Amino acid sequence: MNAATHRSRLPAAISVFTLLLLIAPFVGLALVTHWLDFHFAEGDGGAIAVSLGYSLLALILIIALGTPLAWWLARHPLRGKWLIDAVLLLALLTPPLAMGLLLASMYGPYGPAGHLLERAGLILTNSAPAFVMAQFYSALPYYVIAARAAFEGVPRELEQIALTLGHSPWRSFVHVSLPLARLGLAAAVALAWVRALGEFGVVLIVAYYPQGIPVKLWVNLQNIGLNAVYPLLWIFFLVAMPLPLILGLAARRRRLI
Amino acid sequence: MRIDYAIEHPVALHAAFDVEGFTVLLGASGEGKSMLLRAIAGLIPAKGEPFGGMPAQDRAVGYLPQGYALFPHLNAWQNVAFALRGPQRREHAMQLLERVHMAEFAERYPLTLSGGQQQRVALARALARKPQLLLLDEPTSALDPVTRDDVIAELIAEVHDFGIPALAVSHDPQLAAVADRLVLMHGRRIIQIGTPQVLYANPISGAAARLLGYRNVHRGHIEGTPSAPRLMWPDGGTSFPIEGHAPIGANVDWMIDPAAIRITDMRDALPDAIPASIEVRHVNGRITQLGLRCGLARLWATVPDGMQVPESLAVHLSPKAIRCWARDV
Repeated sequence: MNAATHRSRLPAAISVFTLLLLIAPFVGLALVTHWLDFHFAEGDGGAIAVSLGYSLLALILIIALGTPLAWWLARHPLRGKWLIDAVLLLALLTPPLAMGLLLASMYGPYGPAGHLLERAGLILTNSAPAFVMAQFYSALPYYVIAARAAFEGVPRELEQIALTLGHSPWRSFVHVSLPLARLGLAAAVALAWVRALGEFGVVLIVAYYPQGIPVKLWVNLQNIGLNAVYPLLWIFFLVAMPLPLILGLAARRRRLI
Repeated sequence: MRIDYAIEHPVALHAAFDVEGFTVLLGASGEGKSMLLRAIAGLIPAKGEPFGGMPAQDRAVGYLPQGYALFPHLNAWQNVAFALRGPQRREHAMQLLERVHMAEFAERYPLTLSGGQQQRVALARALARKPQLLLLDEPTSALDPVTRDDVIAELIAEVHDFGIPALAVSHDPQLAAVADRLVLMHGRRIIQIGTPQVLYANPISGAAARLLGYRNVHRGHIEGTPSAPRLMWPDGGTSFPIEGHAPIGANVDWMIDPAAIRITDMRDALPDAIPASIEVRHVNGRITQLGLRCGLARLWATVPDGMQVPESLAVHLSPKAIRCWARDV
């Protein structure tokens, strides 16, 4: 065996080892689960419903508010753009626990916004709206950054051609920009979904109740023990993963550029 | 159709001329030709007629940008149908594809089509909008050199067939030569307008001659006496007699037809012959042109049929064949 073969085998060996490291925890879960005694703890069903329902709501809000922002950032050169980038990165990089504390101080019962909203009947502590807000804040920056990159990848010329062919800017957006950005947008939606569903730190501070899957896992672990989390953990994977996978596959199956 | 447009940003430009049949606006790169088309299409802010002040989607223009910009996510007929509405859109798109001889490629996606085929789909797409004016940005730049003459012929035949005035901007003299009408642009100004016959016969300046693709356009200045003027050619490092009355000391652009250059053996050269060496031999069918190095410059000379090119050669520039234009700077 010569030196060249050795050199080419080393990266392959390291790659295999790294992949094994990645997959080890999942194999571990499969091994430690008591398959013959697979049962949920009390309240797990409710946690699943809470997580799915409110994450979907948060996702809709994120898409509705984040898409115009992403589009605007991708298409309008601004002088103070670095400042907007900094704000997005700040929101993205703030640790979840710290973000939870920030939200509590702003929207909590004694916070400036929370005080006003409470008068209007909207309570943003330990409530369904608080849960959705927590997910919205934790996932929005990821969505905006990914969606902006997707829109930036659409050649501007094609949008302009759509205009010269008699389409309004809105129709040009729907018929040219959206289809051409769909792969990146699908990734952005999937990323936001996983972020929202898996959010723990922010939710823990502002919306301990209603309990979604992440907080319920934590509660089960504290009250009952490690064995009690496995069934809910399986469900967690089952509901968190399909959307990104379906979106990813759907975007790839259609004919792309 | 009369075009009169003034642009201020990103560079100032004003252009006014008529578009008749297939009109080519010929100018070097960086003259703002593409910008002018984009202004007429309403894609950049500008003042002018026609369509002044209208948003892009309301202007009846068919705009074909460089590279044609077909929608990659739509196949050929869907691209053509993009501007169409209603239940008949597919049928109508197919009719347009048939007119540009692309019906058999209706289901193909743009990436699988050649440059010329993409151009025809883009033309059909632009025509679907029922434009009053076609705008073509460098229509020959993305074409395969082997087939481009045929593609250009086809394009012009189609434009005539549809009967819509077309404005093509280009720096390609080959395209200029087949236009119905030519507009020359230099220094962000229009310098000459007319038919190709007139412009090729009488370019208004050295810059115009260069745009039209003439070889052997050089700079120089007039020396000697009014009765015996000589043209000093600094790049060639030499001077030679010319005919006519040129103001002594004037800066000029001058030109000579490659066929008017006499190639001789160095040993039997005339007094005003210029020594030259062969750089490149350009064989095109029965005509051979030589790229000759004279000092720092290059002269193109046509080799007469059956002539044996001497090893050490000189060229003689006939005073009658030299054409001079006064130059400002």
